[in-house]
Amino acid sequence: MTLAWTTFPLIWVGSLVTTYDAGMAVPDWPSTYGYNLLFYPWQTWIAGPWDLFIEHGHRLLGAFVGLITIAFLVVTFRCDRRRWMQWMALGMLIAVIAQGVLGGSRVLFDSRFLALIHGCTGPIFFSLTVIACVLTSPHTTREQAGTCSSAGHTLQRLSLFTAIFAFLQLVLGAHLRHVAVDTSHEVFRVTVFFHLLMATVVLAHGIALALHVRRHFHDYRPLRRAANGLALLLCLQMMLGGATWVVKYSWPTWLADFQFAASYTVTAQSLPQSLIVTAHVALGSLILATALMLFVRSLHLLQPSLNATSPNHRGLLGVVV
Amino acid sequence: MYESKTKRWSLLFFVLGISIMMSSGCNTSEAPFLLNTVYVRAKKNEGLGELNAAQQKNLADTLNAIFGTPDTPELPQIAGVDFPGLVDLEKLRVAAGPVGRNESGRELGLYRKHCVHCHGITGDGAGPTASFLNPYPRDYRRGTFKFKSTKGTDRPTHEDLSRILVQGIPGTAMPSFRILDEGELDSLVHYVRYLGIRGELERRLIETAADELEDEELFLDLDQPGSGIFQERVSLIKEELAAIVDSWTETQVTEVPPPPVDWGSDASIATGKKWFFSSTTNCSKCHGDTALGDGQTNDYDEWTKDWTLKVNVNPLEDLEKIREYERLGALHPRNARPRNLRQGIYRGGRRPIDLYWRIKQGIAGTPMPAASSQLSDDDIWHVIDYVMTLPYDALSKPQNVPENQREIR
Repeated sequence: MTLAWTTFPLIWVGSLVTTYDAGMAVPDWPSTYGYNLLFYPWQTWIAGPWDLFIEHGHRLLGAFVGLITIAFLVVTFRCDRRRWMQWMALGMLIAVIAQGVLGGSRVLFDSRFLALIHGCTGPIFFSLTVIACVLTSPHTTREQAGTCSSAGHTLQRLSLFTAIFAFLQLVLGAHLRHVAVDTSHEVFRVTVFFHLLMATVVLAHGIALALHVRRHFHDYRPLRRAANGLALLLCLQMMLGGATWVVKYSWPTWLADFQFAASYTVTAQSLPQSLIVTAHVALGSLILATALMLFVRSLHLLQPSLNATSPNHRGLLGVVV
Repeated sequence: MYESKTKRWSLLFFVLGISIMMSSGCNTSEAPFLLNTVYVRAKKNEGLGELNAAQQKNLADTLNAIFGTPDTPELPQIAGVDFPGLVDLEKLRVAAGPVGRNESGRELGLYRKHCVHCHGITGDGAGPTASFLNPYPRDYRRGTFKFKSTKGTDRPTHEDLSRILVQGIPGTAMPSFRILDEGELDSLVHYVRYLGIRGELERRLIETAADELEDEELFLDLDQPGSGIFQERVSLIKEELAAIVDSWTETQVTEVPPPPVDWGSDASIATGKKWFFSSTTNCSKCHGDTALGDGQTNDYDEWTKDWTLKVNVNPLEDLEKIREYERLGALHPRNARPRNLRQGIYRGGRRPIDLYWRIKQGIAGTPMPAASSQLSDDDIWHVIDYVMTLPYDALSKPQNVPENQREIR
């Protein structure tokens, strides 16, 4: 749980780095202006320019998450006898190292494309931490497997597809965030269209999922809470998406006759702008993680053949990893 | 059965996701200045010659040799042409290039950080986001700017450009950059002028090339630098560049006289109203009898007319030609929309002095004409008086006035 709670702020700060276009605020890697990452003078960091502050902060937080992942690996090997859980912990360590190298390569090659991939793989690692959180929770290990039914299959399918669509939506959003300077306006327009289309698809899936859980699994409190939370997050995300457009590009023209729209002046990199845009990105990661969490929970609860405490069972590992 | 279906779908989405990621942004090479091919096509539609691919590349290479590239801009090294206070190479290099900080911690790439997504790498106003924005972002390459203190189509002053950067434009996507310090704003203004000068020279060279070049002739054949035609073309570039630079350096701010003594009185407002509806000024023709901006709304701005009406292409009828332009990167033509004066929102600034400049000089590049020849200075102030009262009269707040009691002030 500590790992998930520290990774989510890392997602926020990473998103803030893109919001302020601060990815190249420190031109070297893994050092920071020639200093070892951990020994860069903190006074210079704190008192320095804002983009340097968040980029170096992102690196420090990333290193911290890496250390916690190592600790998670050690604890898993020592305390958890489930073989697949140990493999998963090892996989997470490899994933966090790869994510760090990807971020560093983005700096070394000054590549927006690598920044885009870094922005897409970050939420995957965060989702892994949330899944690990679910699988190592005492509640989960104590829970009894339920009855497999067609409603259970539907739940699994809905949650899996919501997660897949949410990830595709993240990829589309990353394309809008990391748009290359010479991208044509036609390409950008098509990307926005698919981003809006996918938003509708994810929202529809999320609401269908919440309704399905409410109807068939009302007594499964963890499922019900997660499904309701997902629907709520999706509604909030839609509002944040609209707000992101307004704080970046002003109100649409069809509202120009209204005083509030005509008089609104966008302020570049203002606090509301950076908070709204960053929250929109961070919430996307949370939606993906919640959908995957629901999928894993539904697998665990509704597969009669599954026994989460069995160290040799590989079915769950096959789905999760 | 269910598992195999899910696997197939998962595989499909995985492949789709990877395809989307690979479809754009893979190219990390430097973004180039692309030739203004829309203008090349416009010259062809006008009846001048059509430039082939080699001629277009030669023109682009010529411009790059003069102005450098987006990553490493240069000032033209042409004898007799200098840029006194207009474009400073040091400031250009702060604004140009990729976003980041150099080894000494200095921030670079300001234009790409703050401007390029709307205004484009060449300043063509057709950056990635442009098609969603209304009005479209400004195309600097014509050298025409709307909100300024100078006469007619004169170039704006440094302060004019800086003011827009600081204040932004309400109701549009142009943000306020008040977070930037003076040095950063200064660098951006220099870079905007650089793109404007470059774009204007590009247009003039395209005009000359379309008019003069034979089938396989290059504008500047670098294999024959000693030839007479080469020297002639270099002289032409020098003359055109000097004329463009002069147009920026010789621009003059319009002096604003003080308002008349009765300014703000009912009599002043009544005089302003008389002029607003008179056939001399024709204000109401576009802004409408109600001043809601609902008069003539089918006109276009000069940026659009350059490649449509001025070269005999009707945006509403010659749809195939418009599609050709769009394939070359042009944005779909939109009508210029007169301002709704009852909102009290004036894009170029709400100070009386801003309104004075708009009325006295018109708004360059738009159907808004200059009133300098029709109205005296005092009458311009009276019109301003009337316009500034419009947001407060009954018709501007119709929800508070029964319909049968509404009247035009």
